[in-house]
Amino acid sequence: MQLALFIIFGLLAVAGAINFLLQRHPINSALSLIVVMMSLAVLYWSLGAEFLAAAQVIVYSGAVMVLFVFVVMLLNAGEEERTHGSRAAYFAGIPGATAIFCLLSFVFLTNGKAFGSTDLINHLTHTTNNIAEISQVLFRDLLLPFEVTSVLILVAILGAVVLARKEQ
Amino acid sequence: MSPNVLALLPEIILTITGVLVMVAEPVLPAGQSRKPLGVLAILGTLAAGFASWYQLGFGTIHAYFNTIQVDSFSVFFHLLIAAIVLVTLLSSLDYFEGHASHAGEYFALTLFGATGMMLMTCSVELLMVFVGLEISSISTYILAGFRKGQASATESSIKYFLLGSFATAFFLYGIALAFGSTGSTRIDVISQNLASTATPTLALLSLALIIIGIGFKVSAAPFHVWTPDVYQGAPAPVVGLMSTAPKAAAFAVLLRILFSGFPSYEPRWASLIWIIAALSMTVGNLGALLQRDVKRMLAYSSIAHAGYLLVAYTAFPADGIASACFYTAAYAAMNVGAFTVITQIGGYRENVRTIEDYSGLALKRPVLAAVLGFFLLSLIGIPFTGGFFGKFYVFSAALHAGHVWLAVIGLLNSGIACFYYLRLLASLYSRRPAIEDNLFDGITVTLPAALALTITAAATLLLGIAPNQVLSLAQRSAAATAPGSANSTTNASR
Amino acid sequence: MPADFLWLIPLLPFTGFLINGTLGRRLPRPLVAAIALIPTALSAILWISLWFSMKAPGAPESIQSVASLFGNTSWIAISGFHVDFAFSVDHLTLIMLGVVTCVGFLIHLYSVGYMAHEEGYWRFFAYLNLFMFFMLVLVLAANFLLLFVGWEGVGLASYLLIGFYFKKDSAANAGKKAFVVNRIGDFGFLLAMFLLIAHFGSLDFTTIFTAVNQHPEWQGGFLTAIALLLVVGATGKSAQIPLYVWLPDAMEGPTPVSALIHAATMVTAGIYMVARSHAIFDRSPYALGVVAIIGAATALFAACIGMVQHDIKRVLAYSTVSQLGYMFLACGVGAYTAGVFHLLTHAFFKALLFLAAGSVIHALSGEQDMRKMGGLRKRIPVTFWTMTMGVFAIAGLPPLAGFFSKDEILFRAFVSPNPIGKLLWLVGLITAGMTSFYMFRLWFKTFFGAERFEEHHDSHGHDAHGHGGVHESPLVMTLPLMVLALLSIIGGWVGVPEALGGHDEIGAFLEPVLSSTGVTVTEVVSHGTEIGLAAISVLVALTGLFAAYVLYYKKPGTAATYAQRFPALYRLVENKFYIDELYQAVIITPLLMFTRIVLGIAIDGGVVGGSAAAATATTRGLGSLVRRVQSGNIRSYAGWLALGAAAVIAVMIFGYTH
Repeated sequence: MQLALFIIFGLLAVAGAINFLLQRHPINSALSLIVVMMSLAVLYWSLGAEFLAAAQVIVYSGAVMVLFVFVVMLLNAGEEERTHGSRAAYFAGIPGATAIFCLLSFVFLTNGKAFGSTDLINHLTHTTNNIAEISQVLFRDLLLPFEVTSVLILVAILGAVVLARKEQ
Repeated sequence: MSPNVLALLPEIILTITGVLVMVAEPVLPAGQSRKPLGVLAILGTLAAGFASWYQLGFGTIHAYFNTIQVDSFSVFFHLLIAAIVLVTLLSSLDYFEGHASHAGEYFALTLFGATGMMLMTCSVELLMVFVGLEISSISTYILAGFRKGQASATESSIKYFLLGSFATAFFLYGIALAFGSTGSTRIDVISQNLASTATPTLALLSLALIIIGIGFKVSAAPFHVWTPDVYQGAPAPVVGLMSTAPKAAAFAVLLRILFSGFPSYEPRWASLIWIIAALSMTVGNLGALLQRDVKRMLAYSSIAHAGYLLVAYTAFPADGIASACFYTAAYAAMNVGAFTVITQIGGYRENVRTIEDYSGLALKRPVLAAVLGFFLLSLIGIPFTGGFFGKFYVFSAALHAGHVWLAVIGLLNSGIACFYYLRLLASLYSRRPAIEDNLFDGITVTLPAALALTITAAATLLLGIAPNQVLSLAQRSAAATAPGSANSTTNASR
Repeated sequence: MPADFLWLIPLLPFTGFLINGTLGRRLPRPLVAAIALIPTALSAILWISLWFSMKAPGAPESIQSVASLFGNTSWIAISGFHVDFAFSVDHLTLIMLGVVTCVGFLIHLYSVGYMAHEEGYWRFFAYLNLFMFFMLVLVLAANFLLLFVGWEGVGLASYLLIGFYFKKDSAANAGKKAFVVNRIGDFGFLLAMFLLIAHFGSLDFTTIFTAVNQHPEWQGGFLTAIALLLVVGATGKSAQIPLYVWLPDAMEGPTPVSALIHAATMVTAGIYMVARSHAIFDRSPYALGVVAIIGAATALFAACIGMVQHDIKRVLAYSTVSQLGYMFLACGVGAYTAGVFHLLTHAFFKALLFLAAGSVIHALSGEQDMRKMGGLRKRIPVTFWTMTMGVFAIAGLPPLAGFFSKDEILFRAFVSPNPIGKLLWLVGLITAGMTSFYMFRLWFKTFFGAERFEEHHDSHGHDAHGHGGVHESPLVMTLPLMVLALLSIIGGWVGVPEALGGHDEIGAFLEPVLSSTGVTVTEVVSHGTEIGLAAISVLVALTGLFAAYVLYYKKPGTAATYAQRFPALYRLVENKFYIDELYQAVIITPLLMFTRIVLGIAIDGGVVGGSAAAATATTRGLGSLVRRVQSGNIRSYAGWLALGAAAVIAVMIFGYTH
């Protein structure tokens, strides 16, 4: 079942991502991003990370994407005009991205066996442990990064204000 | 004081000051000068600097479940960052006068950015490093676009933001894969677990991704493409800041990761760093030859200097850290100094751009021209300046480690470099073309700016004639980060 | 004299520099001159007292003084090695110090008159004092690093002084050229220093040379590498093939600068450095051979070019290059003493020649072309007579200074064990003939024959001297000329060889420093041979004199006829063998082309265009952000980043381990 889930939602995620790039209207792009996020959530869940899956749905598909759509609506952004990307983007970017993809696949395939495998059923029956572990990491080992993120968000808000405010 | 508070004292001071500036900003009436906020920020930076100095007396402090390690290495970079931020604030105290209504945010963002950079240098947990990196990056993205209303400024900011995010993704992916391969994101644990990892190639991949992410931040080739555009569009004081402080922090992170996280992979990463260093030096210097815009030229020069600095990394483990630390300090002094002069000359409107625009400066403003000339000489690497000893130390360290050709490439490059620095220098000391204009008439060097110039010039000179103080501090910091586990040089090659 | 006084010698001119550099603008001219001259004079006096204390019987062979900075005795201490801020004086340094302080003082004095009507008077003297400071640091340094500091410092001062007339493009370019070419030389010097650190863990002269002397088994190998790299440095500073190209252009600077920096002192730094590190060179016959060949080739080559130049200062510039070649040749055959001896006499007569040429130029209100001179003998008699001494000295006519030193070099080359020693001697001999020829050519063209100049009564000359008419220079300029003329006559008497009834005092004086351990003169040559060789070289010099006499005095048109008979050859030589053009075509242009094509088009070209287009758009608010995202630039940058990232990953995973 795990394999079936993986294939279905993996393909869906990839298809959503490609669609996201190809759509001309921002709203359509945002919607296909939701597809990607949801598929990823399923993949997380199938790996036994159900907390992460839930967080993914709530945070990304819920909060972030809604914000995106609002912004797009508020800006009243229409269909984008296609520009001719510079040649360098194609000469360098396409081979570069392909090469990265191949290299990553190569590494994962050669090291695949060493990763071991996760048994889905096992994880599904011990659901509570997972959250305990996450909280252990989040509020103990990584307490500082977690807290300092507040500064990060503060900076981001400040930045948004600066960029958006009109010059007087 | 609890070790947790003590360890983060400078960062806490900076954050609180930043919040205070933010809170005070709306209180000030709309049309009024934002200078008091700048003074507050300066005081906060000074306090943070002293706090770092105070930490030096406590030896190594571990805090927050070993995510933070305050040692002489982190203190070295804390002091350096505090000094850079201080000079930047001094030189830009009057920069926004009468031009922008958002000077308050500028001061706050600078302080928050400094917080992020300081966190990067003292954390030994990659996720913590990442958060620090993001704080510093986002602040600089926004600061880069602070000359609002200028198309190039906004473009600069957006470019930096998008490409920076792209690079950060690599860095984050690298952290994830490091965790996948070694089961930890703590640098010391990674180093221990590397010996027994079942997936050495994955560890290599993670290291490569981390190097890519950091390589972007320090604008090393081939991740340098954004640098000229961003530097050209950003305000001059901000360029002074972002070409030194975030880079110093990123270099510190790279030092920690390579020297204490992946020492056993040294045979692999050293050859990669070798290539990046050689490429950065060459691309930076050759690129600078073509530039007419002074800020673009200095952008390419900063790429080249990133290359020189990376040369130090190949000197593993002997003098690598100490020489890298020293070079960072020397580079910071001269580059911030050069940009301080440019800030004063160009002003907010930055109407003095090209090398030709600078011609005849010596006739109108001899002192400013002489100071800029001095920084340029230091950038060339003339003895009696910090730039010379930086290069000397770095190259001798590399040679000591057996990288003869890298040292040769570096020396050849510093030969090429004098072409374009000299072009600017010669322009300063030449007669203005027949059409006399009053480009330099509006220049007023205020007291804080003069102070900033004095600090940087004195630092550059002092690093040139009496480098021993900083050298010994750099060596102490090297001892703190020295690869304790480096002795187990397990060969990581498959 | 206590050792700590050593510090005063360079620091005195430095205070002069500081005062004139900061306040000079507001001070009256006489005060500026006094501020520059008094410290220089005091340095010279200190040198004299140093001289007597070291000549005293039982005086130590060298004295050393280490400064402590901020309570630290070592200047730089990094793991494995440390460098002190140390000065030391031995007999070699003493001679160099004498040249720098005394000739330096005379030239300072001369400049008071020469520069009297220039703007930037204070700037000139500030730079000159700065130069003195660095030059004194260079000769006093007790280690290679401090020597390098002085080395770069004099380069900087030279750059500032060549470009002194910075309103003139040619001067600014010449300064840049000198700086850049010297950087190439420095590259070799720096590498040599790194090798020294790697092998000796020190840069201290005493430590290194003691180590070399203690290990007679070290022959060639890394010592050759170090020696050759030092030679690269020396060819840059001492204007030898292939890096000599900057020196002729450096004549754009004021004439006193040419005399001080580009004849008497700075350019001899390379010779000094080779002599100083002779312990290393002695172990590498190969490196010595290279030095000898470079020296001989430069001497001949520069003399060829010098024969057809028309600018009086350029003739002297090529002559300097040629004479420096002699000194290199001397070092190359292991005759360091002879090299230093020639350095000493050359400093006298070449400074004299330049200053006298300056006096001529001054008299003619800035005219430098010899074709527009002539017949000046009667008009400026003091300049004529002093310059005559200089010309006779450089031509190698006995008993003037140049004869003894040049003859010593030729003799050493002749008897050296070097397999091509005889050839080197022959080249030196031919060069001596050519030197004599072009110097007398200058002499005849300037002072004899018809008056070809125009009497200037307005002041629009090159150096903008505001007098009308041809006039003798004031006493403040002629006095240094007279002193130097005297020195050019008697300066060589300190090194009269035994064959000619002398005692070779300078040889004995330098013996403790320059005693060669490796190369020894194997052939024992009779005094007869030595006298014979001396006679040959005098004959050759007289031949040069005669040829110049016939061609430029007796039948002034003949030279042109010969030139017309071999137009291609003449043009080749006149255009300095097209070396500048060659460098331009082979090195500079390809480098720029490469940069333009590879970086310009591939990376920066698209960027510049894109930015310009984007800058025309106005940007307000968030809407523009979206538009900005679409800019082709960012995509291409991201593309480059991706490609770079792929390369980095590939290198990391598949790369070789070093």
